[in-house]
Amino acid sequence: MTATESPATTRLSKRQTYRRLMFGSVLGGAALGVVIRNLDYPLVGEAVYWVGILAFFAIWAGSDVQLMDERDWALERRASLSAVQVIGAVAVVGASASRLVTWLTDYTVPTLVWGALYGYIGLFIVFGVCYLWHRSRL
Amino acid sequence: MKNELDEYRSRDGLSQGDLAEAVGVSRQTINAIERERYDPSLELAFKLAAQFDCAVGDLFEPELPEQ
Repeated sequence: MTATESPATTRLSKRQTYRRLMFGSVLGGAALGVVIRNLDYPLVGEAVYWVGILAFFAIWAGSDVQLMDERDWALERRASLSAVQVIGAVAVVGASASRLVTWLTDYTVPTLVWGALYGYIGLFIVFGVCYLWHRSRL
Repeated sequence: MKNELDEYRSRDGLSQGDLAEAVGVSRQTINAIERERYDPSLELAFKLAAQFDCAVGDLFEPELPEQ
């Protein structure tokens, strides 16, 4: 610590460092995992991926500073709500459009698109279950 | 929500980081409150009031609808 740095500044920079390390380990592990899998070492790639994930939780558990505060949680709640709204809109419009295209034209909607739509619907069901669970406790 | 956090913090010669450390949040959170972009929880509002030895109502001025 230099003479101009207060303990608060040091602590806050530690928070940033830990957070960067946490998210960097996940992103780095995932990216490196893809590269290694593409080099034909699938098990090593998977292991690297998991090292990144586990490093995230290790840093979370091992750090001596508070990494998230109430504004971070509020941001996550808002981002989750926005994501659900976007996914909902895409699922509603996408499902209807896919059905109409299938019925009215010769075009066959790719299985991948149906899979994505079912995935979105599944996410919505998970959201609903979580909502009911939280409602029962609040 | 309108607030006097900036004034109270300046009065006590605290940086945003110092205040953040004192009440257990990030500097960004203090900054967001001062810029009236984030309304703190009741718990944090009381912590801030305790830090400046004033009432919550002295720090924050809610924009209540006129009755």
